Amino acid sequence: MKNSNASHGCSLWQDAARRLLRNRPAALSGVFLLLMVAACFILPVFPCVPNPNTIDLNAIAQGCSWQHLLGTDHLGRDMLARVLYGGRISLLVGFAATTVSLFLGLGYGMVSGYAGGRVDTWMMRAVDVLFALPFIVVVIVFSLSIEEPCREFTSWVVLHTGWNRDSVAPLLGLVPLFLAIGALGWLTLARIVRTQTLALREQEYVLAARSLGLGHCSILMRHITPNLLGPVIVYTTLAVPGIMLTESTLSFIGLGVKAPNSSWGTLIKEGADRMEIAPQLLLYPALFFCLTLLALNFLGDGLRDALDPRSAKD
Amino acid sequence: MRFLIKRVLQGVFVVFVLETLTFFLVRALPGNPFLGERKLPDYILAQLNSLYGLDAGAWEQYARYWKAILLHGDFGPSLVREGVQVSEMIAQAFPASLLLGSIAMLLAIVVGIPAGMLAAYHRNHLPDTLLMLGAVAGICIPSFVLAPLLEISLGMHVPGLSVAGWDDSLCVVLPAMALGAVNAAYVARLTRGGMVEALSSDFVRTARAKGAGPSRILWRHALRSGLLPVVAYLGPAFAALITGSFVVETCFQVPGLGLHFVNATTDRDYFLIQGLVLCYGVLIVLANLIVDILLAWLNPRIRSAE
Repeated sequence: MKNSNASHGCSLWQDAARRLLRNRPAALSGVFLLLMVAACFILPVFPCVPNPNTIDLNAIAQGCSWQHLLGTDHLGRDMLARVLYGGRISLLVGFAATTVSLFLGLGYGMVSGYAGGRVDTWMMRAVDVLFALPFIVVVIVFSLSIEEPCREFTSWVVLHTGWNRDSVAPLLGLVPLFLAIGALGWLTLARIVRTQTLALREQEYVLAARSLGLGHCSILMRHITPNLLGPVIVYTTLAVPGIMLTESTLSFIGLGVKAPNSSWGTLIKEGADRMEIAPQLLLYPALFFCLTLLALNFLGDGLRDALDPRSAKD
Repeated sequence: MRFLIKRVLQGVFVVFVLETLTFFLVRALPGNPFLGERKLPDYILAQLNSLYGLDAGAWEQYARYWKAILLHGDFGPSLVREGVQVSEMIAQAFPASLLLGSIAMLLAIVVGIPAGMLAAYHRNHLPDTLLMLGAVAGICIPSFVLAPLLEISLGMHVPGLSVAGWDDSLCVVLPAMALGAVNAAYVARLTRGGMVEALSSDFVRTARAKGAGPSRILWRHALRSGLLPVVAYLGPAFAALITGSFVVETCFQVPGLGLHFVNATTDRDYFLIQGLVLCYGVLIVLANLIVDILLAWLNPRIRSAE
C-alpha cells in the first residue's frame, strides 16, 4: 500500500479520490446527490416550476401532464414543485442536524479520548446512559423545551436585522428540530472519535509536539483533528441518511416539520392518507426520498472503501 | 459469576440514572398535564396538583416516587386518563407490542441470517451484489413508506390479511413485515460482514486444509464467530422492538406501547413517561446482559478475558 503510493506519487487524499471515482455505484451516487441538491435548491427559482402553494381546485389529484409533470395533489397543487420544496427542507434539516452532531461528537470524543483515565470513564458512562434513553421521548422533550427560546431568538433576529418576519420565521422554525435531532446523533460519533483519539495520543508526533511546548488545545486542533478526518467523514456520510430518516419519521407522526414548511416526510404522510384514491401522491415523494437515502448510503460505503486502508486491495 | 454480578449492578445504576434524568427532564418541560381544550381556573389547577402530589418540591416528589415503586410496586396514576393506573396501561398495551416485536424479530432473523451467509459465501459475485443491494434498499425504505405500500399491495388483495386493527389472528402479519424489514436488512449486512471476516480467518483455513467440506466450514466453523456482531446488534434491537414502534402501530392501528411513548410525552403525563422509560431501561439492560452472556458462550476469547 505504502509502496504503491510512493510509486504513483500521490497523497492519501488523491489516492482516496481516485479509488472513489473508480467505484461506480459511489461515483454515480455522488452525481445523483449533486443533481438532487441542485434540483431542490436552484430549480424552484426558475419561473417554469409552478408555485408549490397555488391551490387549483379545478385540477385535483391529476396524473402526469405537460403542465404538471408529476400531476397535482388533493388541493390541485403542483406535485413536482411540492416534492422539490419538500426536498429542500429535508436536505437542509438533514445536513444542519448532521453538522450539529458532528461538532458535538467530535468535541466530546476528542476531549474524552485525549484526557483518558477517570475523566474518560465518566464521560463514556454518560454516553452509555444517553444511549439507553428512548430516542423518541428525548427528541420530543428536547424540541418542546427549546421551542420557546428559539421563538424568542426569531423575534430578536427580526428586530435587529430588519428582515421580513414572514420570510425568516419558517426557516428559523426548523432550528429546534435540527438541534434536537443533532443533539442525539452525536453519541456514536463520540465513541468512534474517542477510540481513534486514544490511539492517536500515544503517537510519537504528539509526544514531539508536547516536548516542543505545544498546549493541549493546539495539539488537539493541529495534530489530532486532521488524523481523525478519515473515519469522521465516513461516519458522517453514513449518518446523514439516518438523520434524514429521523426527521421524516418525526414529520410523519406530526412532530417534525410543521406548516407552512413541508418536507418529504410530511408529503409522504399526506400521500399515505390518500393512497386509496391517488397512490401517486405517496409514490413520488417516497421515491425521491428513498433514492436520496440510497445514494447517500452508497456514497458512504464508497468513501469507507476509499479512505479505509484496510479495505484497499489495489 | 463475579462478572455477572458486576454487570447487573452496572445495569441497576444505569436504570437509576435514566429514571432520575427522565424525572427531572419531563418536569422541566413547559406546560403541564392539565392543559386541555379549556383553560382551567387557577384554584382547580391547584387542587389537581395537590391531588396528584405535584405541588410538593421536586426532590420530595422524587423521593416519594421511588418509595412508591420500591415499597409498593406502584407506578402512580395516569395524569391524563382519569382513574387509570400507569401499571394497568402498560400491562394492557405490552402484549400487543411484545407479540408484534417478537414476530418482527423472528422474521428479521429467519430472513437476514441466511441472506447474509449466502452473500458472504458468494462474496463479490452476483448473489452477494443482489442481496446487499436488497439490504441497502431495506434500510433506505422507511417503515412509514413500507407500511402504506404493504397495505395497498398485499392488505387489500390477499384475503384474510387485515390492514388495520388488532382482533384476528392474521392481523399481526403486515405490521410485523413492515417492522421486520429494516431489521432483516441490518441483520443481513452484519451477518455478511461477520461471516466474511470469519471465512478469511486462520481457523477456517486450517479447517479447509484438513479437508472439511464447504458446508461444514460454513455451518460448523465460520457461523459461530461470524454471528458475534449479529448477536450484539439483536439484543438492544429486540428490546427496542418489543417496546413498540410508534409509526407501525399508528399505520396499522395496533394498540401497543409505541403510541403511549409519544402521547405521554406530548401530553406531559409525567407518571406514564416515567413508567415507560423504566420498563424500556430495564428491558435494554436485560437485553445487553443476555447479549454479554451469549457472546461469552459463543466466543471463548471473551470468556477467558473475564
